[in-house]
Amino acid sequence: MKHLLLRCLVLLGPAFALPALAAPPDPSAVRAHCSGCHRESSPGHFDRISDMRKTPEGWEMTLFRMHQVHGVVLDDDARTQVLRYLTSVGGLAPAEAAPARFALERRPNVQDLSLGDEMGVMCGRCHSLARAALQRRDAPEWLKLAHTHVGQWPTLEYQQSGRDRFWWESATKELPAKLAALYPLDTPAWRKWSAGTHASPVGRWLVWGHAPGRGDYHGTAVIAARGTDGYSATYTLTYADGTALNGTSKSVVYTGYEWRGSATLGQDDVREVYALSEDGARLSGRWFVNGHAEVGGDWHAARAEGAPAVFAVLPRALRAGAATEVVVVGRGLGTSPAFGAGVTASAVKALPDGLHATLAVAADAAPGVRPVTAGGARNADAAVVYAKIDRVVIEPQYGIARVGGGKVAPVIGQFEAVGYIDAAGKPGGIALGPLPASWSVAPHDEQAKAAEDVKFTGTMDASGKFLPAVAGPDPQRPFSGNNVGDLAVIGTVKDGDRSVSGKAHLVVTVQRWNTPPIY
Amino acid sequence: MSGLKPVNEKARLLEKAAAEGHVEEVTAMESVAGCATTFDPGWEVDPFGGVASLCQPMEADLYGCSDPCWWPAQVPDTLNTYPAWDAGKPSAQNDWRELDAVFPEK
Repeated sequence: MKHLLLRCLVLLGPAFALPALAAPPDPSAVRAHCSGCHRESSPGHFDRISDMRKTPEGWEMTLFRMHQVHGVVLDDDARTQVLRYLTSVGGLAPAEAAPARFALERRPNVQDLSLGDEMGVMCGRCHSLARAALQRRDAPEWLKLAHTHVGQWPTLEYQQSGRDRFWWESATKELPAKLAALYPLDTPAWRKWSAGTHASPVGRWLVWGHAPGRGDYHGTAVIAARGTDGYSATYTLTYADGTALNGTSKSVVYTGYEWRGSATLGQDDVREVYALSEDGARLSGRWFVNGHAEVGGDWHAARAEGAPAVFAVLPRALRAGAATEVVVVGRGLGTSPAFGAGVTASAVKALPDGLHATLAVAADAAPGVRPVTAGGARNADAAVVYAKIDRVVIEPQYGIARVGGGKVAPVIGQFEAVGYIDAAGKPGGIALGPLPASWSVAPHDEQAKAAEDVKFTGTMDASGKFLPAVAGPDPQRPFSGNNVGDLAVIGTVKDGDRSVSGKAHLVVTVQRWNTPPIY
Repeated sequence: MSGLKPVNEKARLLEKAAAEGHVEEVTAMESVAGCATTFDPGWEVDPFGGVASLCQPMEADLYGCSDPCWWPAQVPDTLNTYPAWDAGKPSAQNDWRELDAVFPEK
């Protein structure tokens, strides 16, 4: 009997395959607060509401608009109940949200989606195309969205260059069909996901990530159920320099996988936008500081229990002829990690999230990607050996910072110097990851030099962080112009006796006052 | 376009960029998610991905942008959606510190 029970548990799979804690979709809050305008044409089907699907942030923007434009007042409980229902019955499947997750994660300075000229003109001139790509509707409903836009923003004619082309023909006759083909309401992915049972995030996790300007971090997370429909998490994390990055979080998981948390991480209050993988084995995304979405870090987590696995080596780049302290994040790693010929590990010490080791890399160790093996697990490209840095690319190559002051905070610009080595058969070379660098700014062009943009626009600190100057007219500038400007950002990496530099373009520009969760 | 001649610096730069085949490059730079590409110059960036051709200081024309919802995704439109955004702040030049973001962080 004992063996039978054990076999049953094995067949059921790991503990995280248990259903997620989530209240079953209950339309009563929508019925109470929305059906005055949105008729419940059949049980549980509300006009318009039930004809579209969105992300949690998309629905949040809808609720905000209902309040702002139509005067809907919801207290926190009602708002939560409405949001839970909408994201349960009208969410996006993980694969549907994946291409535009950068917008949900508020990643700064990313290139928007490219959806063709007409979509770029019709939607992307004002807001990100990701905002459209994170919705699902059929053609008649996409058409209604065009009408909503014209009703709410009648001067849309300007943006569409209405004098020069038949834009309304395109908006009402061609675009709804195109959008419905790209982003239809009814999809196999959503049918499968909405009918399925989803993994719970409860359990112990191994965590690793990178915060631009601050560095790599790693550690563990313990996630527990909170009440009947939420989660709490405790983080024990450490930056590579040993600084603690501990924290706690309270979260809700929408649509069976969309983790949204409010956390304290180190000294900061942060928002967490993570996605639980479809099999429940990974939790990944980005956290960012409240009020400064441009400041944050990547987040990766994998279950602490499971077969041996090597997830990451921090740092990833190993210099030939030098000793490097590394952390290998993984499960069941044993005590003899191997990094290939010419790399010797010593002083191996177990960590809660993997192991720590000192690596001696021989001067003649072959440069290139190194598979890392430990405890029988293998990661094919967890580390890179390099003899010299061939190039440094500053990321982002084109960045936006915004002046701030008064009630609107500045938007800072964070840059990193990513090293590359050349490699046969790899046109782009092999990335070494962000490297320590020294930083400076210079005029981007002659106009910037003449306007003294370097003097007025702000300051660059030692971590590649550009802090913009104060907003408002500046009487010291021609015509009392703002402290905006075009800068070249130069990052220089020391590589033995030599230095390797890269350059990027930073635009310091004016503030924006419309700051929804999806730009 | 053959019948048109540039008469100011911005127009000359535009013509130069087109002649040097930089049009695609300019388009890509302007497509940073969250930045408007409506009109040239846009709200944040000009046709060259910089700020030299922006209206300056911005406050001189801010209410000329918010009243007719010129860049509604960046500047709240007072025409329909946020009619009270600039209420009690008649001078953008003097009152810009009091203008608040319309979608507060939770």
